[in-house]
Amino acid sequence: MSVDEAVRGRPLLAREGDEQVLGARLVARRKPGQWISAVLALLVVAGIVKSLVTNPRYHWDVVGAFFLRPSILDGLVLTLWLTAAVLVSSYLLGIVLAVMRLSANPVLSSVSAVYIWFFRSVPPLLQLLFWFQMASLYPQISLGIPFLEPFVTIETAHLFSGLLAAFVGLTFDIAAFAAEIIRGGLVSVEAGQTEAAKALGLSKARIFWRIVLPQAMPAIIPASGNLLIGLLKGTSIVSVIAVQDLLYSVQLIYAQNYLVIPLLLVATIWYLILVTVLSTIQFFVERYYARGKGARTGFWRLWRGQLPLVPRSRPRRDLEVL
Amino acid sequence: MSEPLVRVRGLSKRFGANTVLDGIDLDVARGSVAVVLGPSGSGKSTLLRTVNHLEKPDAGFVEVDGEIIGYRCEGAHLRELSDRAITRQRSRIGMVFQQFNLFPHKTALENVLEGQLAAGVRRRAAETRGRELLDRVGLADRERSYPRQMSGGQQQRVAIARALAVEPELMLFDEPTSALDPEMVGEVLGVMKDLARTGMTMIVVTHEIGFAREVADQVVFLDDGRLVEAGPPGDVLVSPTHERARAFLSAVL
Repeated sequence: MSVDEAVRGRPLLAREGDEQVLGARLVARRKPGQWISAVLALLVVAGIVKSLVTNPRYHWDVVGAFFLRPSILDGLVLTLWLTAAVLVSSYLLGIVLAVMRLSANPVLSSVSAVYIWFFRSVPPLLQLLFWFQMASLYPQISLGIPFLEPFVTIETAHLFSGLLAAFVGLTFDIAAFAAEIIRGGLVSVEAGQTEAAKALGLSKARIFWRIVLPQAMPAIIPASGNLLIGLLKGTSIVSVIAVQDLLYSVQLIYAQNYLVIPLLLVATIWYLILVTVLSTIQFFVERYYARGKGARTGFWRLWRGQLPLVPRSRPRRDLEVL
Repeated sequence: MSEPLVRVRGLSKRFGANTVLDGIDLDVARGSVAVVLGPSGSGKSTLLRTVNHLEKPDAGFVEVDGEIIGYRCEGAHLRELSDRAITRQRSRIGMVFQQFNLFPHKTALENVLEGQLAAGVRRRAAETRGRELLDRVGLADRERSYPRQMSGGQQQRVAIARALAVEPELMLFDEPTSALDPEMVGEVLGVMKDLARTGMTMIVVTHEIGFAREVADQVVFLDDGRLVEAGPPGDVLVSPTHERARAFLSAVL
């Protein structure tokens, strides 16, 4: 009778060689596929870097010379404030559309639905051209009640500059997408929250701005970040109607000196910088609205180990292919 | 007997074909505690929610301190009040929910501030009162905690402090302990008993028969939307006359 049997009152089968197995060290399976693919990936990266550095036709000296040119910086400023203006106006409009869409009033809800359907369907470039050509469609715009004498009348030709066409077109386009994102966030807030706020004697507006919207933000921000990045880059379509944004300022220069590639690189680098800044801001805004969910706060604790340029992703061993 | 604080008369409510409240009449005296008992689906919560106009009645009315809730009587019509007027009426009625419904993005203290700030109280004064109330429910040390960092019992006590912050003259409790672990029921009932002792008028929907026996001045029993039994706990809980009430009480006691 072994010791085990005596102690636990049940027989255990001992086999020769058990000692050796128990004493052996565990060795994980090698993953040659991962090694090979990692080396290949590195080779590709090295190839790209080498050609970027050694190919003289990139003209890095020209890139450096034009990078901070006043006309390009002016274009950059226009791109930035057009993005900011469109962002603010389209989200205000988007909030109104989302609230209308959720209204029990069938007219409000349908008007919002049709708006979203229409402006999500029309390409922004096409819309931009339409607004730019507004004068040929409506030579005059009158404000007033249909079928009655108008209050004011404006000549459309004086109204729609390229910049205004860009602002209006992009706002209408982004607002349609923003409305859907906001609606999704609003419906994610429990009905009990509104009831508790009502019972406390909060007004409707106060309930919306202080209770419902802040709780909808965690659902709204990630998708809005993508939309905003899309918008920032999307503003470059205004170059087709001769609005001097970042891209068009670059095009104006290479139309004269024919240094197309280095000047396109100038614009590329600026867009990279802008989107990086936006992604970083998005990262912190997301964290801010995650408060109360046990999220960490404090700059360095947040920053540590994070590369907020693209959405974060933990390694997922269950999805491993290589 | 002095004028009751709450008068409910002929209150009826239906959801589709389902009659939830059927001609309820009820008086709650100033400074008294009314406990509403009844099987689930009997209309207890709906009765409570009608008192602060979270539900609109189909017939009848609720009157608090001489004012009809949610409506203005104009001859043959009851016209619904403006949002602003209803908001003002609600701010005099505190409510505590089964699921607490604390604002998860605000700390305990911020939750208690919200109603006061909406009522126009200065932030400094609101904070002082908020801390007093958290202290009163035994949570002075949790003012910076978010709801998710607190136990159910603590959350419900914050919810009571939040409702008290706007100095209501009437408190409504909708099954305040039903979502709690058994060991936390006592701390919430304790706070409610203290509150009753201060002379607060309370209407409490609950299944806690012990609380009803100890604290209630009046126990009412609802069945299928009808008020079938009402009276002092010594009568209603000990010798109910209605058959349904008898069956319910023998099942829960």
